Amino acid sequence: MSSRLKNNLHRIKMRMPVLLSMVFASLTIGGYCQGKDLQVHGFAAQGIINVNGSNYVNDDGGLSAELTEIGLNASYILTPALRLAGQMVYLDGGNRYDDGVRVDYALLDWSAYNDENWQVNLYLGRYKNYHWLYSSTRDIPFARPSVVLPQSVYFDGFRDISVGADGGALKISHSSDTLGDFDFNMSTGSSSISKEQTQIILGKLALGKMKHTYDLQTSLYWQPLLSSWSFGLTLLDGVFEYQAAEQKDKFIDADITLQLVIANMLYEGERWEFSGELLQMRSIFDGLYFENFRQDSISQGLYVQSRYKVNTDFRLLARYERFYANKDDKNGHFLEETSQGLTPRYFGYQHDATFGFSYDFAENLRLQFEYHYIEGTARLTPVVLPNPAINDNENWQLWAMHLMYWF
Amino acid sequence: MCLLTFLGTVSFTAKAVDVIVHSTVSESNITKSQLRRIYTMRQTQWSNGHHIIVFVLPKQHPLHQRFSKERLQIFPYQLERIWNKLTYSGLGVAPVVKSTPEALINAVMKTPGAIGYTETVVDKGAVNVIKIKE
Repeated sequence: MSSRLKNNLHRIKMRMPVLLSMVFASLTIGGYCQGKDLQVHGFAAQGIINVNGSNYVNDDGGLSAELTEIGLNASYILTPALRLAGQMVYLDGGNRYDDGVRVDYALLDWSAYNDENWQVNLYLGRYKNYHWLYSSTRDIPFARPSVVLPQSVYFDGFRDISVGADGGALKISHSSDTLGDFDFNMSTGSSSISKEQTQIILGKLALGKMKHTYDLQTSLYWQPLLSSWSFGLTLLDGVFEYQAAEQKDKFIDADITLQLVIANMLYEGERWEFSGELLQMRSIFDGLYFENFRQDSISQGLYVQSRYKVNTDFRLLARYERFYANKDDKNGHFLEETSQGLTPRYFGYQHDATFGFSYDFAENLRLQFEYHYIEGTARLTPVVLPNPAINDNENWQLWAMHLMYWF
Repeated sequence: MCLLTFLGTVSFTAKAVDVIVHSTVSESNITKSQLRRIYTMRQTQWSNGHHIIVFVLPKQHPLHQRFSKERLQIFPYQLERIWNKLTYSGLGVAPVVKSTPEALINAVMKTPGAIGYTETVVDKGAVNVIKIKE
């Protein structure tokens, strides 16, 4: 038996008590804590993932069990207008993001106004990003369409800074008897960025600290009356500050501004489902490499996705996605030229064709499988200083199998 | 508009799904849109300001499937997605799931502000059946 396989089996074995505890906890508390005031829910998922030709999950390739997601949440209604809610999660995705336990959200929900057609809620604390089509459930295995989400929009390298923030959020919902349902959302806050997350973005040579200093995000969703279609638009403005370490840091102090526009649509029919998101992101770097350095570029991404329900338990998935790191350099030639050949041109784009299926063995037990064929490496980490020594293939593939349980 | 298409699949032999509420709920009728808003958690208070407690059966239960399609004109998986999003992102709360139709009726009977559904109402004094208007 190879040492890698042994390590993976050991990893799964170590997590079995936690996974079994989740099942036990759900059976024990499920009956008691699903009342009108207190609700407790959770999930546990373990999978295997194999990447051929990149360091997306691990640096040495091969089968990996670094596909673990465990979560437990509670919601308690204090008064008709006030509610407390929180969720703890444990995540392990290998190189995709920082692994460990974290507070996913912990908030006070104030129902400021409520009548037959209007709902106004204010959330204070750590809230989830609920502006994009799948952003609020990107860590919830059974509530997202695939094991690996489209990296053009749901880039794992930016996961920790885009999954939520500490601050305040506002949600205004209006239901019109003629026009349908409208949701307006606005949030502002900042997220803490770990050293690992800093190095995921900038590279191992970054020894300083990155701060998320400002974030304002708004979105508007509309579902016409009795329609299977819904449409959304999101705007984001975020500012980050890099403070270089006093010694040995290859970077200098920098301000990084990200401005994002995402448009999405969703069709939910009885058997067919179609969805897609279109992204444009402006990135402005001031400093970082040397004094007065400024880089202002626009990246673009798009995916279209279809799911087909063969029956209530079995679903098929197909998706195609394109991403360009710089819309004015879609084939990456300029990137290769300006880096004097150090960064191959295929770091300028990433296109992904995905096929998969999921099967529900029981009401809350699902197996999901998917295969990705990927062209380009623009959505591999580190982002700022890529690693062409490991990622020396333009075309790479991955498959993943994920078993999930929730209550 | 497309959601209306599954109306054609309703069996003529099946009994109608009645919407029931706790005896203290003052509404005697609500619109179909209002019922949808209540079950998609977009309306959380009755007109008198009392909190609405929503009860449902498990997602695979035939009665839940019928209620979702016939009364709400929403596919059951859409309801599940809305509730999962609320539950696992902290945005709100999902309905309380009861394992059997009897348990659901019992919960509606005992919980002020409650709403649920049933195929047969045996004791009309215990819960109110409300009329659903177009």
